[in-house]
Amino acid sequence: MAVPTKGNTTSANPTPGASSKTQAHTHNTGDDGLIIAQFTMSNSRTYSGCTYGGQAMTQLYQINRSGLGQRMAFFYLENPPTGSNNLVVSFSGSQWNPISLHIRSFTNSGGVGTSARTGGQSTPNTQSLTVEDDSLIMITSCSVNAITSQQIPQGTNRTYTQHNTNRQVATGAISADTGHSAGSVALRSTSTFGSITLDRTEIKGLASSVDTSGGDFFSVF
Amino acid sequence: MITIISKIELEGTDSLKYTDIGHTENDAIVNQINENYDSTLGKFLGENRTKLEIGEVSISAFFNGVDSVNEARTQVEIVEDSSLTKITDISQL
Repeated sequence: MAVPTKGNTTSANPTPGASSKTQAHTHNTGDDGLIIAQFTMSNSRTYSGCTYGGQAMTQLYQINRSGLGQRMAFFYLENPPTGSNNLVVSFSGSQWNPISLHIRSFTNSGGVGTSARTGGQSTPNTQSLTVEDDSLIMITSCSVNAITSQQIPQGTNRTYTQHNTNRQVATGAISADTGHSAGSVALRSTSTFGSITLDRTEIKGLASSVDTSGGDFFSVF
Repeated sequence: MITIISKIELEGTDSLKYTDIGHTENDAIVNQINENYDSTLGKFLGENRTKLEIGEVSISAFFNGVDSVNEARTQVEIVEDSSLTKITDISQL
């Protein structure tokens, strides 16, 4: 296996004021591309779709965090067009609350793997995700209170962007470049106090190609 | 990180239109733009979110006499659009 190569990121926290939001993002050149988008906004609207460069992205999840009044979603697209293209996320109606959006590109990726979501629990919220060898993990959290850490694995603080959607959102946290060994990885999110959510998703590496350069072969007649 | 500066205008009668107009790495410029946004359009949105959602208030009420407002809350690592000007002084906007 080989760890996915991290590419460009785009993070924004606008108030769409329309039934869609368009965001430019530059996807890196390279084989086995993957682009992912994480969103959080008021649950007064739902996400009705997402495209990048005009191509429909796949919705991995869309979850209503009713206790927080927020709706969180994750979309992805394998082998997206490279260069600068528009990502367009659509809603069930005009969204007049701020949205948190985070877009990240990868190359040399085997796509999106396991994913799990845990609603608000008293800080610290500690969960796990079982991943394949050489995978990366992305996490995102929402809380009423200021978010103080995103840990991948538990005990290792990773950088993230904090957005305000009338709730606090941490987005963009990702594993170190070396990736993880296969198995269960403990993850943690913390806030100043109160409850905090923890959603996590595996970004898979590439399976090694079969080595046919050596070994014994039989001729079959 | 590079911050993209967007111009926000009225589109039609009930929607916002965002157009990227420049980029900067100057935090003072970013703060000045966002403080102005927060005290104008941001304040209006904050006071009228529910009424805007149910159509009791139109966003056109804010833009009566206001052409546009800028915001600088998009962060990127690369700017590929060569039409975007690098802003080093707020007077360039």
